[in-house]
Amino acid sequence: MEAVWNSMNFLAESLAAAAALIMALDPEVVHAVRTSLFTTAIAIILAAGIGIPVGTLLGLGRFAGRRAALTLLNTLMALPTVVVGLVVYGLLSRQGPLGAWGLLFTPAAMIIGQTILAAPIVANYTVAAVAGADPRIMTTALTLGAGRLRGAGQLLMEVRFGVMAAIVAGFGRVIAEVGVAMMLGGNIRNYTRTMTTAIALETSKGEFAFGLALGLVLLTVALIVNLFLNLLQQK
Amino acid sequence: MDPLLTLKDIVFRRGDFTLQIDRLELQPGQVYLLQGPNGSGKTTLLQLLALLLTPASGEVCYAGAPVTASRERQRLRQQVTLVEQSPFLFSTSVYRNLAFGLRLRDVRGDAQRRRIAQVLKAVGLDGFECRQANALSGGEIRRVALARALALHPRMLLLDEPTAGLDREVLPIFEQCLAALPAQGTTVVIAGHDADQHRRLGGTALHLERGRLAPTIPGVVPRQDVCA
Repeated sequence: MEAVWNSMNFLAESLAAAAALIMALDPEVVHAVRTSLFTTAIAIILAAGIGIPVGTLLGLGRFAGRRAALTLLNTLMALPTVVVGLVVYGLLSRQGPLGAWGLLFTPAAMIIGQTILAAPIVANYTVAAVAGADPRIMTTALTLGAGRLRGAGQLLMEVRFGVMAAIVAGFGRVIAEVGVAMMLGGNIRNYTRTMTTAIALETSKGEFAFGLALGLVLLTVALIVNLFLNLLQQK
Repeated sequence: MDPLLTLKDIVFRRGDFTLQIDRLELQPGQVYLLQGPNGSGKTTLLQLLALLLTPASGEVCYAGAPVTASRERQRLRQQVTLVEQSPFLFSTSVYRNLAFGLRLRDVRGDAQRRRIAQVLKAVGLDGFECRQANALSGGEIRRVALARALALHPRMLLLDEPTAGLDREVLPIFEQCLAALPAQGTTVVIAGHDADQHRRLGGTALHLERGRLAPTIPGVVPRQDVCA
């Protein structure tokens, strides 16, 4: 009974300490949050730039190799983050083909890895949204004088909630991942340390309250993003 | 006068169905009434005329010139408009639905507003600009779709069963709009089963049977005045 009481007490104290760290805007917490949000935002913009056109093409097109491309996309969706980290590490490391760029252990390297993680998710969700759309959307746009590109743009407008869900799913995958951020960012304090890498590090050092504070922020960010999506869908 | 659109030795296949048109000439400012049983290929023929489909063989000529390149088809689609049997309205306001095609033709600002108000009035939906498309009834959707097509001032208007399921009170409004088009030089092709409507609108009857056009019915169906 006492053990249970003690563990409850530990959690409560940690939670209070975490809240205090957040309220006090602890610089390390703030920096980790900022780095996470910055790299994730850029990676998602890039992933949307790649994933939405690819998803639209695969969702609309009827061409040879489409099925193989969809299978590849599904496989890429399940890519372990450490595998992405490993491959990009190999490319960006000093001996690698892109080593001269000096990107390893920088936010840019993290963004590259996170874009690779998120793009297949955005593309797959877009394929589902586009393929499931009313076929009359495209025909209507064409009969009104639009070209295929403008028609595809109109179709994306019609399935905008599906596309937004694609972006949110990609966002969720990226902001919560550790492997890429750790391997490509190096978890450098006040530079490439993100919420997730800080949680992993601080918890292993016994700084449970610090990890908990970042965990709470991470949950809050996820909640805000989903609330935003719900709000848009209700409009 | 050169025909507006000519189909020569057209073969189009979709699954087991084959549409085969040896020759069809559509003259400017004429009304054509496309008849035939279900599955005879009326919708497919309309889609071919709307330059949405590419035939397996044969030639499509627009104003005497063969249409081959896809860029050319897209350009000409700005002059040919199809209103489908079950029209789709974009999930936005009625105004934006009507403005879509106008923007593509660079009709903007006051000219756009005037034209939209004018066609909405013509189909009896005066003041519907701000209504959301998804809040309209089936009959209103058909009328907005017709207004959207009329707003574009097409040289050829193709209508797939345009009045099926419309209220009797709305029918005269619809027919009045269509009856006014030939005088403006617009070629109108109406597919449908309503023989009475065909009598009211007049025009040349085209009969499709199992994907083939029957020899043109001699003479033109005399038009009864629908504007009376």
